[in-house]
Amino acid sequence: MAGEILKRKGREIVIFSALLLGLLPLAGMDIKTYLTLTIAGFAMGMMLFLVASGLSLIFGLMDVINFAHGVCFAWGAYVAFSVFRYFKKLVEAESLFQNSLVFIIAIVAAILVVGIVGIIVERVLIRRVYGSHLFQILITFGGMVVLTELIRILWGPNDEVMPVPVTFRGNWDIFDIIVLKYPIIAIVLGLFVFGVIQIVLKKTKVGKIVRAGVEDPVMVQAMGHNIYLLFTAVFAVGAGLAAVGGMAMAVFNLQVYPGMGDAYLIFAFIVVIIGGLGSITGSLVGALIVGLSYNYVAFLLPPIAVGVNILIMVVILLIRPTGLFPAGK
Amino acid sequence: MGELTPVQAARLEERRKRFRSFPFFLKIAVLIAFLLTPFLFPSFKTVDFMLKIMIFTVLVASFDILLGYTGILSFGHVMFFGIGAYSVAMLIGKYGSPTYVNLVIGFMIAMGMTSAIALLVSFLSLRVRAIFFAMVTLAIAEFAIILATKLSGFTGGEDGITVNMPGIFKVSFTAGTLLGIEITGRIVTYYLIFLICLALFLLMVRFIHSPLGRVMQAIRDNEPRAEAIGYKTFAFKTSSICFGCLVATILGGLYVMWVGYANPESVLGIPIMLDVLLMVIVGGMGTLYGGLAGAAFLKFAHTFLPDLQKVTKSLFPDAVFLHAIMERWLLIFGILFILVVFFFPKGIIGTLQEYLRGTGFKKPARSAREG
Repeated sequence: MAGEILKRKGREIVIFSALLLGLLPLAGMDIKTYLTLTIAGFAMGMMLFLVASGLSLIFGLMDVINFAHGVCFAWGAYVAFSVFRYFKKLVEAESLFQNSLVFIIAIVAAILVVGIVGIIVERVLIRRVYGSHLFQILITFGGMVVLTELIRILWGPNDEVMPVPVTFRGNWDIFDIIVLKYPIIAIVLGLFVFGVIQIVLKKTKVGKIVRAGVEDPVMVQAMGHNIYLLFTAVFAVGAGLAAVGGMAMAVFNLQVYPGMGDAYLIFAFIVVIIGGLGSITGSLVGALIVGLSYNYVAFLLPPIAVGVNILIMVVILLIRPTGLFPAGK
Repeated sequence: MGELTPVQAARLEERRKRFRSFPFFLKIAVLIAFLLTPFLFPSFKTVDFMLKIMIFTVLVASFDILLGYTGILSFGHVMFFGIGAYSVAMLIGKYGSPTYVNLVIGFMIAMGMTSAIALLVSFLSLRVRAIFFAMVTLAIAEFAIILATKLSGFTGGEDGITVNMPGIFKVSFTAGTLLGIEITGRIVTYYLIFLICLALFLLMVRFIHSPLGRVMQAIRDNEPRAEAIGYKTFAFKTSSICFGCLVATILGGLYVMWVGYANPESVLGIPIMLDVLLMVIVGGMGTLYGGLAGAAFLKFAHTFLPDLQKVTKSLFPDAVFLHAIMERWLLIFGILFILVVFFFPKGIIGTLQEYLRGTGFKKPARSAREG
């Protein structure tokens, strides 16, 4: 009986209970705080999505768990940090156009630099160990350590304050609810990237090849496509996405530090396990779940915020071991 | 008895040879070296060095049970070490008094917690894909570090917990002199830890040669086949994980008994995990004895890298970038790690074993047994 109801109304029940869970934190705070936290949570979710989608895509296509992904995130943040410092005038100018310009320059620079780092990592490290999960994890873990240390050498080992473009600072006051400007920008950026990824994957030829590669890489190769070139490209794109996420997160948190990659790698892992490895939609949903729950809990009980994310992951693993949106294979 | 079959004769031959072979003498020599260290080199630095090698040898061997013998990569192994360390430190330091009973209870609580966490993690992650295990353990290990640093009221935060040892393990304890050496609490602790480490190591050697251990190696080599033969691979993997983690926990407690404190930097954290990984890879995966080679190598490297830094500084006083690189020893270890994984995947002991098997001592028994 219960099973039948679940089968017929499963989707409605899931959506309803998700909404209920989303409103649950209201028990511990007033509604203004709740809305502020929700926006911050959505923003964080979008940035986590940028990291996790790359991780997920790389795994889906190449069957590689990239432990060096978090470090790409940190590299993105540091490249943007350098760009902001170099174009100090544009950052300090009180014009939306100049601020946006420097923001876009930073994004492009982050994508380019980290994409090149990604290509090097893929060519030098991962290319040699396709097929062996154990060695992939070991090698990418080694890559993570080396790249983190390189950050410490190139940019110094200390925490730095991340400059924020002037017009991105501050907040809007809508009906007494304080809405920070930057999280909205981050949400728009995340949605934009999500849209671009979906369009590229669903509507273009390259996207078709990538999706086919997720299903069956050997067959794609047999059809005459250079799968290794595709691997390198997807790896570079994944690293670039992580870099954008890192930059957005650094501006959000107003700081960059060499260990930030490790911290967010954990989030990215939780996100892809919740959402299902290899699925972009799953990454988005997982990232939003993690971002929102982290912000609510961090407001109520700061030390256990990551713990709640791990708890959610545990619950999802118990009821759906392949994640919410399992993809391929 | 009657006539021996060829297989029996070969086994007898092998058993007799076992006690005359080069590796056997080497093991005895190492054992004696550990045993005599406090008498031959009574300076605290040497004893401390040897003891840390000892603890890390067994820790790496227990990690090897997971990585080298079962083919599971865990990033939470140091976390279990930390659980042991913190739980013993809390029981005899922060929330108790230094008594023997509290010491034992500390170990018991740590082992209980470890079993619970190890079981939970394996139930959750091994069901889907083995790689989930690496991800989930990394997440949980990171969480453990956050807990240890942020809940400073409970765990002592960054400073950690400092402890005093009970009774005969106390630093100030003395029991006369023997062979010109004062028998202090340090010496007693050294030998206690030595005995426990030896026992744990022998237990692990026994474990991997037991039928259970053989099944694990079968799982490592070809999991679908092991499953097809009829072994419940999940149960075997879980028991391997629990066993390895329990050994790590006990070692954590012993480590605290020696150093007298537990803080996130010394018993938790990515750098120690990297150390353990590097030790296992350098020593040789799937050899157990590789732990000794790896631990000795890394501990030597840790001790002499500062000297190397000074040498480079005096040789190239102007190369600022080089200095920056030398300051970051983790970078050197990371590069070393990648190089070893690529070009030297069998490690020191693995290569040595291969060499001995290939050229040194011809063993007809092996072909009879394996063929």
